[in-house]
Amino acid sequence: MSEFKIINNQHNIAYYCTRHQCLTGNAAKTAFIWIDHTGKREVFTFEQLEKESNRYANVLSGMGIEKGDIVFTFLPKLPEQFFAFLGILKIQAVAGTLFSNFGEEALYDRLSDCGARVVITKKSLLKKILRALPRLEKLEFIFVIDEEENNEKVIGLPKLLAGASETFTITQTNPETPSVLHYTSGSTGKPKGVQHIHKSIHTQSQTTQEVLCLNENDLYWCTADQGWVTGTSYGIIGPWSLGISQLHYGGAYHAETWMKLIEEEKVTKWYTAPTALRMLMRENKTLFEKFSLKHLEHIFSVGEPLNPEINIWAKKVLGKEIYDTWFQTETGSIMISNRPGIEIKSGSMGKPVDDIHAEIISDTGEICSSSETGHLCLKTSWDSMFVDYLNNSKVYREKFKNGYYYSGDLAFKDEEGYLYFIGRNDDVINTAGHLISPFEIESVLLEIPEIAESAVIGAPDDILYEKVVAYIRLKDFHSWTDDLELRIRIFLSNRLSTIATPKDIKIIEEIPKNKSGKIMRRVLKAMYKGEDPGDISTLEI
Amino acid sequence: MDTFDELNKIFCKVFYDDDIKISPETTANDIDGWDSLSHLNLVVAVEKNFGIKFKDEEIDKWKTVGEMYNSLLLLIQQKK
Repeated sequence: MSEFKIINNQHNIAYYCTRHQCLTGNAAKTAFIWIDHTGKREVFTFEQLEKESNRYANVLSGMGIEKGDIVFTFLPKLPEQFFAFLGILKIQAVAGTLFSNFGEEALYDRLSDCGARVVITKKSLLKKILRALPRLEKLEFIFVIDEEENNEKVIGLPKLLAGASETFTITQTNPETPSVLHYTSGSTGKPKGVQHIHKSIHTQSQTTQEVLCLNENDLYWCTADQGWVTGTSYGIIGPWSLGISQLHYGGAYHAETWMKLIEEEKVTKWYTAPTALRMLMRENKTLFEKFSLKHLEHIFSVGEPLNPEINIWAKKVLGKEIYDTWFQTETGSIMISNRPGIEIKSGSMGKPVDDIHAEIISDTGEICSSSETGHLCLKTSWDSMFVDYLNNSKVYREKFKNGYYYSGDLAFKDEEGYLYFIGRNDDVINTAGHLISPFEIESVLLEIPEIAESAVIGAPDDILYEKVVAYIRLKDFHSWTDDLELRIRIFLSNRLSTIATPKDIKIIEEIPKNKSGKIMRRVLKAMYKGEDPGDISTLEI
Repeated sequence: MDTFDELNKIFCKVFYDDDIKISPETTANDIDGWDSLSHLNLVVAVEKNFGIKFKDEEIDKWKTVGEMYNSLLLLIQQKK
């Protein structure tokens, strides 16, 4: 397959994912096979992807949405998610995606921070936005994909789309034009908007070929939700910019269904997450004997470190190796990976991809020697590198020192250049591949009247890699009850998301803090694991 | 209020949506936000409301609301 090339100085991501495919002989080729949660199957060609996304582009521009405006999708995995995302990019507006499990506070934080003008959603999710709406002054329109009625801000899309033209001419798009916006959690403060630009397509496309080894005859399945960077970089942009056919499935994780899909649809390359693989590992071996995975050539994984046991299991039960890949929302595409053609070393995240230079740097700024743990840094710059944290340029600038991007991960490199993940150098929790800020959870916990103080940590978990654990100090005259625990869980699930809901809640008499009032999570983590908390000389007693 | 209506009320509370109307055929794919984690909230809420305790192995096996409801009815009967 030929490499991705820019034509006539057009850098628009959506152009290459749709129009360009139609012009280069792929119009009738399958862009994606859609299987909904009931098993209903539908095939969409690149021509349909082009026409449907054009309709979205026409509806948006007809409503006065312009280049630079921020438009979010708040949808589960659905064909409309793809049409809308590409339609937004076609008019050079910024395409943001929101995980459909977000609650009203998580929505408010993101939509208010970026001043989004439009959200595209479905009827059953509308209520969550309407709860946040009174506080979202800049939000002008909520487009609903399955609603006919209109009122002041809520606009039904079916009629508008049906009346919209299926042709749209994308104007010349500069490589530096803002494209995709994802929010990511840091250890302090609210989630930060990670801004990418259209030229990211170069690295996304290049790594799709180099790492995922996709070619024109593949049927590729990326299980990631479009709410996260993997879902857009490798569930939309990378594969479609190269004219690759994809499988998209709208149901939840279900081991038997997943194996059946791989067999029946003849999936050749599969990109998934360690949490899903660990859940598959728990299944009885006989389940896998029922299915033939003979078409499946490669499995790739992203989101959390891949434990060596998963690879041992995969070789034995699935007859395949799993290639671990590493990247972040900020990097926009895979930076380090195991991949076909490179020997897999147990426990290693692999080697940097072409043109990426990774170093391990000490606290004092020196390059670490082999096997010495330090900060995992990437020499700047590459095309899919983020260009800013929206409204937070100071924090953005702090991520760069002496020509290196500091990833926030700690790692070491062996003599052969293989990299090994050690952990985060901040308090961000990685649960099932989702980064969660302890601060966000602590803030919402404090809205519960019985809670005086809270501290949230990540603790090791066999399935999720890390689980969320909350320590709570109750106000005087309140006691811990099952009812309160349930209220806390439901409140957090609906205000933030289920992934932010603690797996374990502990009651504590005093939250350990240092003399400047900062929560000593290190002490809590040791306490939770029954380990020695180490130096507690700065503890405020 | 019969047991099924009461169960419906718990669904509304757990998923913050007063318009949820469950049926025996309802599955996790029909209710936004019903994932493996909110499923635990739902189980605990049902157990607490009816004063029963589901077996760990059955919690993961229900495919529909109807199957959950049948387990619930059985436990309520055993309690009597």
